[in-house]
Amino acid sequence: MTSPAWCTSTRQAMAGLLLTAVLASPWPRQWLEASMWRHMLLQFPLWMLAGALLCAVLPTRARSITSTWNSHGIAGLIWVGMVLSVLMVPRVLDLALRDMVVEAVKCTALLLAGTLLRLSWRPAGLVVQCFFLGMLLPMMVVVGQLYIDSPLRLCNAYLLDDQERLGRWLIALAALLASAWLAHAAWLLVRRDEGAQLGKL
Amino acid sequence: MWRTTLLSILMVLGGWASARWLTYDFQVWTDEGARRLEVALRPVKAPAVTVQGPEESAHDLSTLLATGSGVTVVDFFYTHCQSVCLSLGSSFQQLQAALQADRAKGSAVPVRLLSISFDGARDDPATLATYARGLHADPTLWNFVRVPDAAQQALLLQRLGIVVVPDGRGDYEHNAALLVFDAQGRMVRIFDLAEQQLALDYARSLAGKLQ
Repeated sequence: MTSPAWCTSTRQAMAGLLLTAVLASPWPRQWLEASMWRHMLLQFPLWMLAGALLCAVLPTRARSITSTWNSHGIAGLIWVGMVLSVLMVPRVLDLALRDMVVEAVKCTALLLAGTLLRLSWRPAGLVVQCFFLGMLLPMMVVVGQLYIDSPLRLCNAYLLDDQERLGRWLIALAALLASAWLAHAAWLLVRRDEGAQLGKL
Repeated sequence: MWRTTLLSILMVLGGWASARWLTYDFQVWTDEGARRLEVALRPVKAPAVTVQGPEESAHDLSTLLATGSGVTVVDFFYTHCQSVCLSLGSSFQQLQAALQADRAKGSAVPVRLLSISFDGARDDPATLATYARGLHADPTLWNFVRVPDAAQQALLLQRLGIVVVPDGRGDYEHNAALLVFDAQGRMVRIFDLAEQQLALDYARSLAGKLQ
């Protein structure tokens, strides 16, 4: 997929910087973290988006060094998987609210995860992508189900109905990502097939 | 490829180590669980705050906890509460009944009950007195207090790890639990509401050791 002409690397990086600044400033942070679902399903992806946007201006040299440590995007996707799994532990949400060090580490890890996801996704290819999503999405479903089923509040700072909503949306998001990826993979495979047939003619 | 393998292994180890740190060796998954574990390992001294009961005189919380040099089971509540505090109230009534039975049998141990309001602005001494009467609290066993000063109240809640969340309908959600304090005013153990009998037995045995 190629970006449209107006979407230059510089503009992407500017947008990334702006998003980082907004996410790090107190008022938006407070709003995002005031509810459990916004904390996990809005703030987490937005930090990753900021990282992915900033990735646009990564110098070629840095990219080539990164790729020697990240063949087939494996290391990058492991980072993303590790960060997201650890951040799904309910204790992190409470801790991030009252401990600034945990909060800073959380945001930096997510920013880096966004950058690495963008760097790793295409080199990964369908097989590694399938493996990565095959680990991550079922985990999101299990965690979501736990959040729905728990009769107790898992985070002291959030209400029970908020927790249930987060659980349902985690499952919905996992289903959405799975269908989107399957559609994308099917489209790629069909196109590859057509290409091969055209080559034979 | 060996670089990627090495880096991947390091990342998996890092992820595992941080999850291990976060969950105290995979024992707890929530912050409440971690708080209870931390308190059991390292008792938390109650900060010096002034509390006020129905009799309107103010005293220091640590003096109150040291009264009778016994063990105190503490809960946090607010009088307008319609949900979890009601069950806290009834579990405290049962604890009071058990302590009264101990006393009647002549095997009394110095265990007392203390309910602290976290709604210091609304729960004035008169409100507390009415509330205590409604629950048939025996003032020699069960006291009710509030922290009149808002800053001191916030300090107390923060130090003891009590998190109060307004639910948007004028009520509060809070991590209700039974907190056991020793005679030196240190919070030594936190029990779940469902573990009322365990909390009582623990408080009795702690008080028994003091005698």
